[in-house]
Amino acid sequence: MISHAHNRVAVTGLGIITAIGESLSEFEEGIFKGQCGIAPISLFDTDGFICQSAGQVKTSDLGQGFTARELKRLSRCDILGLIAARQALSDANIPLEMLDKSRIGVVLGGATGGMLAWEKYRQALWRGQSGCYPSLLLPFSNCTLTDLIAGTYHFAGLRSTISTACSSSATSIGYGYDLIRSGTQDVVLTGGSEALSQLTFAGFNSIRALDPKTCRPFDKNRQGMSLGEGAAILVLENFDQAVSRGAHIYAQVQGYAINADAYHMTSPDPQGMGMSKVMAGALQKAAVSADQIDYINAHGTATVINDQLEAMAIRRVFEKARVGDLAVSSTKSMVGHCLGAAGGIEAVATILALYRQQVPPTANFTDLDPACDLDCVPNTARHQPVRFAVSNSFAFGGNNTSLVFGRVGE
Amino acid sequence: MPDIVITGIGVISAMGTGRDAFWQSCRTASSGLKRVTAFNTDGLASNIAGWVDEFDPRAFMSPRTYRRMGRISRLAVSASLEALKDSGLDLRQVKKERIAIILGTAYGSSSTVEDFFVSFLKDGPRGAQPLLFPETVPNAAASHIAMVSGITGPNTTFCQNEISAETALVYARQLLLQNTADVVLACGADELSAMQYACYDALGALNKTRTVDDGATAEPMPGGGLVLGEGAGCLVVERSDVAIRRSARVYGKLASALISGAPAPMGHYNTAGRQLGLTMRGAMQQAGVSCDDIDQIDVSANFSAELDRIEYGQLKTIFAHRIDHLWVTPLKYLMGDFGGAGIIRAAAILLSLYHQLSLPALDAKALIAEGRQVPEWRAARTGSYQTTLMTSSTFGGGCCGLIFTAS
Repeated sequence: MISHAHNRVAVTGLGIITAIGESLSEFEEGIFKGQCGIAPISLFDTDGFICQSAGQVKTSDLGQGFTARELKRLSRCDILGLIAARQALSDANIPLEMLDKSRIGVVLGGATGGMLAWEKYRQALWRGQSGCYPSLLLPFSNCTLTDLIAGTYHFAGLRSTISTACSSSATSIGYGYDLIRSGTQDVVLTGGSEALSQLTFAGFNSIRALDPKTCRPFDKNRQGMSLGEGAAILVLENFDQAVSRGAHIYAQVQGYAINADAYHMTSPDPQGMGMSKVMAGALQKAAVSADQIDYINAHGTATVINDQLEAMAIRRVFEKARVGDLAVSSTKSMVGHCLGAAGGIEAVATILALYRQQVPPTANFTDLDPACDLDCVPNTARHQPVRFAVSNSFAFGGNNTSLVFGRVGE
Repeated sequence: MPDIVITGIGVISAMGTGRDAFWQSCRTASSGLKRVTAFNTDGLASNIAGWVDEFDPRAFMSPRTYRRMGRISRLAVSASLEALKDSGLDLRQVKKERIAIILGTAYGSSSTVEDFFVSFLKDGPRGAQPLLFPETVPNAAASHIAMVSGITGPNTTFCQNEISAETALVYARQLLLQNTADVVLACGADELSAMQYACYDALGALNKTRTVDDGATAEPMPGGGLVLGEGAGCLVVERSDVAIRRSARVYGKLASALISGAPAPMGHYNTAGRQLGLTMRGAMQQAGVSCDDIDQIDVSANFSAELDRIEYGQLKTIFAHRIDHLWVTPLKYLMGDFGGAGIIRAAAILLSLYHQLSLPALDAKALIAEGRQVPEWRAARTGSYQTTLMTSSTFGGGCCGLIFTAS
């Protein structure tokens, strides 16, 4: 039930799998080393595309821990998400058997769900080949992973799946925050999962948004994005409950905001006003001033216009950014743009920045673009105090989300 | 806690385009299920659906406005424009950043996904149609609503199979209660597409009913599988203080909203049903009402034996003392099943509460009737209707309980 409670929200577990690591420790090592996981794609044929690379999860054996029957029905997106959920719950060390399962919710974000499996079905049908197995259609829905996680662990709380393209999992974290803050749930698993697919690759290829080589966010010579895949699951928990059970707390979720550009399906508002307003709105909700923000994990796709507008929007909201005193970096430079999972993955990077008091870099950075005049933390991570941090996600359709996280104790 | 009220309704459905036409069909229990002629169904087990065959977006907006929209966006934007007009909300007088748009859809524009992917398969990467790609995202419809009406507040899209619209409504309520927004356009929308229809057919989920008559009402076999549908609904939802301040007409209140779930095999419902029962009870408890206060029950039964039996089983447990005289409204029997249907079902409830006319109804036992005979509907009748329970389940295991009360 929604009450007027204003519970604090702790992050007590993290699970992540990306092109630079298949566990939290590998991911952590990778992002703070500025390691780039963008490499040639092996999942499907890339002949004829502008680009042949993406942040594909490297392991060839994702099936460990799943039965043959499960693997027949699960999509790649589901498998990535289930792995991350398993890691996150283990990391949170949460005594599930002691908790009321109706107080544990699952709120995830996803953009294309089991699209890759559907493509196999559709392609076989198109070519008149064998292999049109209806089981490939079962995981098509975006919410399949949400149901699978909730079902696997018998969570009987609220379950929802948000699908707003590139801001999906960031918004899901915001909703998870709402549910705990309001007392509707005690624990929420949130974040998202995304697998590479031909549809999205062909789509971004068709609108000329891909860099032929490797993306270079905020760089003067950037040419577009690199796609990626992965999953990130966060365990959010009522702060007091987390403290009382002696949980390890990475950070606090301080607040969030979402809004709409109401401008164009693919182009952001040309003044970046939607981006500015969503960041300002998130700060207001979090009761944190712009001066208290020490790090921004940018949406930073590396498309010419998006980076320019995001820089403009950041400089409008944060005076520190105007004087070069605000660290801003793009995780997409290392893992690619993971679409529906991007917000979750970047939230983990942001939380690690707070936890380690170190900001991750923007990889592949060579030349500063005067139109993106920010401290982009080029190529090398930096130790510095990080009290509060913002993670931005801006999506097709003008769906903007900003999350604010805080160091424990702030 | 402030009341959450509904002040505007827009509906585009197989039961009628526009709120009045839809309500007229509700009153008379007129079915919108018919033979699909929008695409080829040869060789499929079924050829019927609740498809919207008389929809012309020009009745709502100019061709220039909708030319780039997929079908789902045209349906959703049209419903939103009708709802906004109905609510009397003057967008020039309000802060548009305090208005949210929250939409539920199971699949978004599945026809655009199909068209784009086929353009890629046919002509390779260079032939893939760039204008189609942006419409493949499920949030396209909610974004178009924002663009058409210039609404810049919170905007998001939920996909949760058959309870997509219900999850949107639950989040809408959350935003209002925590004062993140003053007004929410809570929408549900889905389009029927050849691709989606063929996928459901391949999975053996469709009602194996074929009809030869164009335009005639189809009569699916109860318990024989679901009948797909399409449409869009939009509710203008506000906190009561906001509605009172602008002297808005109120259709009814959303007294409670609860979502939960239980394990279910992929593509199936949670057949134990216990969680659905708990959710119904939880929604009643949250609203401060008892079983005896419930005077109408809107169920999500959709002609699939699995779901219809689960719902009946839980109703039998909860309403044991009146099960022999219990009437229920499975509106999907009349308009088909789709992820956005929950908002249209809610619209029917609110119109019923406002007009103090009952929903069309069936004897609850029709959900499990022996011999699976065609159900006999009871048309709307006058009376005192104060509290309606809306219950929903989806394959995947999610379930939802909502309580609506008269204003």
